[in-house]
Formats: sequence, C-alpha cells, structure tokens
Amino acid sequence: MTLDLKVLGPILALIVLIAVGASLNENFLSAGNITNVLSRSAFIGIIAVGMTFVITAGGLDLSVGSMAAFIAGLMILVMNGLLDTLGPGLPLVLAGMVTALVVGTLAGAVNGFLITTMRIEAFIVTLGTMGIYRSLVTWLADGGTLSLDFGMRTVIRPLYYGGILGIAWPIIVFALVAVIGEVVMRRAAFGRHAAAVGSNDQVARYSSVNVNRVRLLTYVFLGILVGIATIMYVPRLGSASSSTGVLWELEAIAAVIIGGTMLKGGFGRVWSTVIGVLILSLIDNILNLTDGVSPYLNGAIQGVIIILAVILQRERKAEG
Amino acid sequence: MKLTLHQVDRSFGAVQVLHGISLELRPGEVHALIGENGAGKSTTMKIMSGYLSPSAGEVRLDDAPVAFASSQAAEAQGVVLIHQEFNLAEQLTVEQNIFLGHELKHGMFLDKRAMAERAKSLLNRLNCSVPPGARVRDISNPDKQMVEIAKALSRNARVLIMDEPTAVLTEREAEVLFQQVDRLRAEGVAILFTSHKLDEVKRISDRVTIMRDGHVVAQAATAEMTEDDMATAMVGRDVSSLYPARTAPVADDTVLSVRDLTVPGHAQGITFDLKRGEILGVAGLIGSGRTETMEGLVGLRRATGMVNGRAPYPAPRAALDAGIAYLTEDRKERGLLLTKGMRENLTLQSLADFTGLLIDETAEDQALTQAISDFDIRAPHRAVAVGNLSGGNQQKLLLAKTMLAQPEIVIIDEPTRGIDIGTKQQIYEFIHALTAQGKSVIVISSEMQEVIGLADRVLVMRSGGVAGELTGTDITEDKIVRLAMGLDGIKGAA
Amino acid sequence: MKHIALATLMAATALPALAEDVKVIGVSIPAATHGWAGGMNFHAQEAVNRLEDVYPGLDFVLATASDPSKQVNDIEDMLATRNISALVVLPFESEPLTGPVAAVADSGAWVTVVDRGLAQEGIEDLYVAGDNPGFGRVSGEYMVEAMPDGGKIVALRGIPTTIDNERVEGFQAAIEGSGIEIVGMEHGNWNRDDSFTVMQDFLSKHPQLDAVWASDDDMAIGVLAAIEAAGRDDIQFVLGGAGMKEMIKRTADGDAMIPANVTYPPSMIATAIEMTAVGMTSTAPVAGTFTIGSVLVTQDNAMDFYYPDSPF
Repeated sequence: MTLDLKVLGPILALIVLIAVGASLNENFLSAGNITNVLSRSAFIGIIAVGMTFVITAGGLDLSVGSMAAFIAGLMILVMNGLLDTLGPGLPLVLAGMVTALVVGTLAGAVNGFLITTMRIEAFIVTLGTMGIYRSLVTWLADGGTLSLDFGMRTVIRPLYYGGILGIAWPIIVFALVAVIGEVVMRRAAFGRHAAAVGSNDQVARYSSVNVNRVRLLTYVFLGILVGIATIMYVPRLGSASSSTGVLWELEAIAAVIIGGTMLKGGFGRVWSTVIGVLILSLIDNILNLTDGVSPYLNGAIQGVIIILAVILQRERKAEG
Repeated sequence: MKLTLHQVDRSFGAVQVLHGISLELRPGEVHALIGENGAGKSTTMKIMSGYLSPSAGEVRLDDAPVAFASSQAAEAQGVVLIHQEFNLAEQLTVEQNIFLGHELKHGMFLDKRAMAERAKSLLNRLNCSVPPGARVRDISNPDKQMVEIAKALSRNARVLIMDEPTAVLTEREAEVLFQQVDRLRAEGVAILFTSHKLDEVKRISDRVTIMRDGHVVAQAATAEMTEDDMATAMVGRDVSSLYPARTAPVADDTVLSVRDLTVPGHAQGITFDLKRGEILGVAGLIGSGRTETMEGLVGLRRATGMVNGRAPYPAPRAALDAGIAYLTEDRKERGLLLTKGMRENLTLQSLADFTGLLIDETAEDQALTQAISDFDIRAPHRAVAVGNLSGGNQQKLLLAKTMLAQPEIVIIDEPTRGIDIGTKQQIYEFIHALTAQGKSVIVISSEMQEVIGLADRVLVMRSGGVAGELTGTDITEDKIVRLAMGLDGIKGAA
Repeated sequence: MKHIALATLMAATALPALAEDVKVIGVSIPAATHGWAGGMNFHAQEAVNRLEDVYPGLDFVLATASDPSKQVNDIEDMLATRNISALVVLPFESEPLTGPVAAVADSGAWVTVVDRGLAQEGIEDLYVAGDNPGFGRVSGEYMVEAMPDGGKIVALRGIPTTIDNERVEGFQAAIEGSGIEIVGMEHGNWNRDDSFTVMQDFLSKHPQLDAVWASDDDMAIGVLAAIEAAGRDDIQFVLGGAGMKEMIKRTADGDAMIPANVTYPPSMIATAIEMTAVGMTSTAPVAGTFTIGSVLVTQDNAMDFYYPDSPF
C-alpha cells in the first residue's frame, strides 16, 4: 500500500491541480489551452528528461538554460548566414537543426569532460559554463536580440506551431523523448548503470562499470536534448537574446525533484519528471486564468508547492 | 557499577526476537557476548544502553530497576555503547570529537585549554599516542577505537559496551586494544563486548554468554569453555571441521603469472604464479599492500609490470573479460548498492549478459532464484533492500554476483570479515567448490587461521613487497607472523 | 612586492598631474539584460567613443553591472582608483545606490543621474529623466483615441518596479471614463517568452478582446506571436512601447496590428553623458532636471525614430 502511494503521489498532485483549474475556469480543459500548456512545457520537459539522468547519476547541470540561449543564438546566426546560399526551404531548416544538435552535443561533452576527466565538481563546472554561454549569447547579439531573418519565418514556423493529426510537434517530440527516456531508465543497461553510479560510484567501479563513461554520457545526452528543445524554441518567436532560457535550469531541476528523483542521486523516474514539469506549468497557467491571486505571489505559490512535494517524499520514505 | 538484565523479552511487531535474556555485567569483569548473526546480540546491547526498551523484564543498575528514556539518559548514568561503525565526525579533531555535545565551557566561550588537557590525559590513560589536534579522518582504525573509548571515559563511563571492537583491526592492533581493556578492567569498569573471533574471547573475557535465536544457550566462566565448545553452542551443531578437507587436486598449468607488479605508493615488484585449481593465500599486516596489489592487478589502481606477459589491465572490465574477478573487502561501501534490491545488485557486474536492446528482467529473476539456492542466501523477501540483509547474506550475495560473471580466477579480499561461524563454513565450502570446478582462488585474509585452513600456498606481504612464500607444512602461524613482521629473512621457504 | 611599491609611488606622483590635464568621467549603467538595456548600452558606448574624440581633455570609464551590488562596487572603485571628476549613473535600483552616489557627490565630483531618481533629493547636479507616468499617459491617450467606442483590453506589465507602477498608473488615469476596460493584467517581465505564455493564457480566458497594451516592444513580439498562433482576429491592434527598431519599422510600413509606438528612448544615456561633458568643459549651465518626454510614434513620423544601427 505504501508502495502504491509512493508511485501515485505525483499523479495525485497533478489530478488535484487539474480539478482546481477546471473548477476555476471553463476554458481550462479546452483543446486550445491543453495544447498551449503541453507545448510550452515541452522545452523544460525535454530538458528535464535529460536532467533526470544527470541527477540520477549523482550529477547536476546548471548550464542548460544558458546553453539553450547560446544554441538558439548560433542556430539563428547559421540560418541567417546560409539563407542566401540555401534559400528558404527544407535544407536551411535541416542546417539549423544539425547546428543545434552538434552544438548541444559538444556543449554537453565539455561539461562531462570537465566533470569526469578533470574531476571538477559538477556544480562548479556548470556554474562556470552557465556564465560562459550566457555571456557568449549576449556578445553574439551585441547586447540586443538575435532575430531570424523574416524571409524564413514561414518555413520554420511549423516546427513549433505545426503537427500531425492536430497534435503539435513539441507535444509529439516531448512524448517521444519521455517514453524513450522512461524505457532507457528502467529497462536499458545505461539507466541501471546511471542509478548504480549515483547510488555509490565506488560500488559501480568495483563492479566493472565504466563510471566516467556513464557520467559523461548523461551530460552528452542532456546536451543533445537541450539542442532538440532549442530546435522547437527558435521557431516560436524567431529570436534569441540574453534573456532566453533564464532560470530554465532551476525549473528543470525542480521538475525532476517534484517527480521524486533523489537530488543526491541513485534513483530516478522519468515519467514522474514529466508530471513534475506539467505541475509547474499548470500552476502558472491556472494563476493566469484566474483572478484573485496577486501576480506578485506566483513565485511564492510555486515555491510552496516544490517544498511540499519534497516533504511528501520524505514522509513516504519514512513509511517505506 | 553493576548492570543486570533480568528476564528481558523484546518484540518487533509480532516477531519476538529476545526470549528471557538474563545476564550480569560486574565491575572489573570483561563479559563476552557471542552468537551467530541474527542471534539477538545487537538488540540485547541496545536494550542495555537505552537505545531500545524491553518489552518485558527489567534492566537493573546496581540491583535497582531503571528505565533509560534514551541513549543519552543511559550515558548520563555511565552506560555507554560504542558502535561497530565509528560514531565520529571525520572532519573534526580528536579533541573536538571527545567533547562533542559535552564541550567544556568557560562562561560563554569554549574552554579550549581545559579540553586539550583533559583530552591529553584521557588518551594517556589509554596509552594512545594520537595527538588531540589530529583530524579523525587522518588517524588509523585502532586509534579511532581509542578515541571512541576516550569519548566514553570523558562521560565517566562505568559500563562500557563494545559492538565488535576488533572487526576492523588486525591481530596486532586488537592486541593493543586488549591491553587497554585490561587496564579498564583493573580500574573497575564493567565491560561487555561482542566478537566473531573466539580466540579473542578466550584471550580477554572473564565470562561468556552465548546466544542463539534470541535465547541464552550457555553462560559460563570463560575458563570453563574451549573454543570448540563455544562454536558448538553458537551453531547448535558440531563445527570442529570448520575448514573442509581438500579433495580437488591442484593442476600443473599456470593460469596467472604476475611479474614485477608495482602499484605506486603501495607495492613494488610483486611476482607470483597461480595454478589452475589452486587456493593461494595472501597474508600480511593491514597496510602491507595486499589489497592495493590485487586492485592494481585488476585495473582498479594504476599499476606497472607484467600480468600474463602483458601490461596490467587498464580497467576492471578488461580484467573481467580476461576471466579475473576481484571481490572487495568492503562489501558495504564498494561491493553492494545497499539501497537497491538483490536483483539489481546480482546482475550489476554482468548486465551485458542480460541485455539485448533492453534488460531481460525475467532472465534476471531466474538468475536470482538460482543464486539464492546455490549460495543459500536467506532474505525476508526478494525485494528487500540489500542494506537490510545480514552481513553473511550480503557476503553470499556478493559472491553470487562475482560468480555470475563466470571468472576463471577469483580474488577474494577478507572473505569472512564480520560473519558468523556458520556462514563462514559455508563460504569456505563455496571456495573449495570453485577449485573443484577448476577455477583458481586468491584469498586475502587478516585472520591467520583462515589462511592456514584454506590455502595450498601462502604469500606473505610486508611493506609493499613479498616477504616470503610458504607451502604445505610450512604454513604455520609462527612462520607467517615472522615473515609479516620482518623478524627473519627467510625467503621462499619452500 | 617591489613592483607594487614602485607602482604606488608612481601613481602617487603621477595622479595630481594627470588630474590637472585630463578629467575623468565615470559612467555606470546596468548590463544589457533585455532589449531596452541593450540599446542603452549601445548608446552609452557610442557616446563615449564619440565624445573622447571631441574632447581630448576628457577620459571616460564605462562600467556595466548585472545587479545593484555590483554597481555599488563599480562606483566605489571609480571613486577610489580613477579619481573621477564626474559620474553619470543609471541606477539599477534607487534605494541601494543612493548612499554610494551621495558619497561621490560629497567628494566634490559632479553627479548626473539618469532615468531612475535616487531615494533622496538634492544629491545630483543634473537629472536626465525618462517620463514614466507620461509614457503610460501617452499610451492611454492613444488607446482612447483609437477606440472611441471603448472595448476590452488586456495589459502586460514589466518587472515589478517603481517604473512599471508609474507607467501603469499613468495609463489607467488616461483611460478612465473612456469605456475601455482592462479585463486582465499580468507581469510579462519585459520578456518575450514570458509575455508569449501570459498572452496564450489570456486568449484562452477571454474569447473576445479588442486590443492589447503590451507596454514594451519585447513583450509586444511575444503577444503578436501568441495571437498569430491562436489565429484570433478579434484583436485589432497591439500597442508596445520604447521604440524597438523592428517595431518602428513595422509601424512605418503600415502594419495594421502595430499602428503606433511610444518612445522611451534608450539614447537618454547619451544625452546625459553629452550634457555632463559639456558641463565639465565649459561654463554652460547644465544643472537641474531635464525630462525626456515620451512621444507618440505613428506611421507619419516613424522614420524619425528609426535607428537601424542600434541593436534595439
């Protein structure tokens, strides 16, 4: 019974939020609003899935928000630069996507390399790269905003606004990433190894697990997922600036923890990270859809819910 | 001060774990409490020291019934339990640890001078030379033990309860501890300790209480019992043949040849061979480089030299692929994931064998069923977190995990540390069974009897080098000790 | 050790001579954390480069700070190590900067405060101010004029600050009694992503809206994207503000959704630096308060406010 409650905890919280939202506003459950919430959750959500692996393996990545801004900036610069040669069409969009994925992979690998091979604390490394990417995108934009050339906006727009069977691309990609992430965490050797490394890296090492490789890969996968999220972020507003992706890292980490993954590593659940992401975006959505709560207090309400979620986890552990 | 348990019962939920325990700790007497893992020793000690209260029966202090509300309440009355895992703050100094929570004050401020003097005199009383300003993380295990005792004495302990104080000590270090125990006994302290090492019980205790399945099965003056009597009472059957007789012959072909293996900072120029089906014992004092040599051999440490004609393995995976597995001495910190279940632990080392694209959980479950029956692992249920298993069952699981990788050569570091005698015997039988299958085993052990009882050949290490090699009837306690301590220069007595 | 001693000695002997020849003007501004600040940084840098050529007797030190305490450090450093004769400061926040700026004034240096006033009056020699209540008022008046029959609008606010409050109050005063009703107001934090999200939710909540007061061009971009994505055609126009070059261009091109803009020119920093430079090198009277009013931009006059080289 306690075990059931442990699994159901985050789901129950989500159901309560949905019930609250539906009772406060009739448009809450409309297809439009659901699409909006799910689509905008996709950026943080895709990143949070990668963050779940990093945290499960005992790591942390504070650089993802800045990394997203940097990748978005480079993607826009590359696409603007190639517009004349490639013309506004699929090849140009593909070039932008490849840029995002390559830069994401490299950025993740740099974090991972510094943390594993150079043996620097993850907190310090990613705090450093967070500042570096943030400065780089400000520099690339010359203090202002990098904007996608107007000529290609229509070509790239469908990446965020389009979809199949009425379901938007961000939702589809988010769902795919979440399902694959969940399967890898639970059923693939990599997920098992990540949990072992986060649980006790000495035991993992003595069990012939290549600890550094597992750690490095969690950061690389996170970098790739940041790239994927950015691919869909750029078409939304067609711009990137120094204010892009601010605090995304904390939202992603909060979602992971609300979901029940342990911050100190050793145990992670992808599906409940997804629920954590949805809980966070629903709070915002509900507060925007209702009157009566001062908008000054949005942050406080989120904070209370994050802390409550963690307290609930501890209660559960004491029971189990 | 006298501490008495009178007809104490204790239940956890529906399960009764102690049945009518009566025993008496007298001033100036050392009392040994022995029994297999799970016999109820820990619960008994916790009731004595206020960590648990009895379900029925009485705890008496100088014949007056007492009910300790907590361990602090017991300490205030002079009853102190020293845990097997040290309860010290590693980052603080010896002195800070001794007075932790009971700091001496001078008005508002800490009275550092008084604490320094008091710490020095306590340590002197224990004949311990560790400086009070040293950080605990930098001092040796026996010194930590002394700090724990000093901490207890600083609280005016009159009854000292020690849970397996020698488990992490070498025989020589244990001897130092016993000298201090002798002193405390002379000062009139009542002492209770537990140990799996019956020779220690013989050496140090005045009375012995033997428990089995929550009952006291024997209680006598130590002088009246032999070690065999004690073992028989603990296990409930005859264990005179602790070490099985060798049946499998050692083959002539060499399966492992190590030449000039050097692990920087720990061992130099280690050279030895291992034959198929052989049990090679590795003896030596703690710090002689035994563990580090083997870790270097399997790629857990950087090493140079030649292993089977090639450079040492770069990583444990490479050693395992070559059929060499190392089983660590530290099963809690290096061997097993204590918060995970048995299945995850069992297959961690051999996960590739259970993985196509995804992990085959059915096959894992079958492997666990097989391991539970092959290695006689006793767990309350299959999903139990490994940290909740007894030490003996953890060790069996670790053995099962290692064997799942199907190594040809198994290096076992301290195979029976902290394990009861019945399980020890089982583990010795497993080791023999391995050699019967043509596998070779290297056993590192601090227990002299274990090396003598198991090994076909013994390598004695001292200060990072091979001090000598003993075979056949030369494998005696005396010869091993002389080599380990560097008392004579015999080299390869065989 | 020897080098440091030597350097100190040289500095001690060299400084008075330097102070006679060249006057140093310190410029302390917030870093480019959003579009308007980016424009302000651009104009400050541009003004410094230009004025250094014009006035060989002036030397400029420009420092950008990412938070108020960093700005305090910058100002203290300028006073201690650069011996500034004048300080041009755009305070991050009024309260924390008041003390340090007052210390500069007490040292005898000239102080020019830009945009945000200090918490205490009378410290500065020159105050070059943006007109935040005026910004709100001009925006409100445009709304009233564009919607003579009234209607429903939603408003997006900036980061919760005095500036934001003054603008909103000015706006509300201007539309009072006009029949325009603000049916929703949330903080979009002068940020495109935040305003996009807030606008999406406004669109879900309100099936019929006539116009949006985005109050800032960065937020207007997010609002426009949300409206476009929702495919709503009930909203007639979006009023941004601050005069971002892309938005000015669209107004000039006659985009019906962006018929107007209200200036809050980031170039006010350049004005302040230039006025300070004049005050340092001549006897012209430049002290006092100099308010830069917010001006309504429509298609007719848009090209006058278009700076294609500015990042904003």
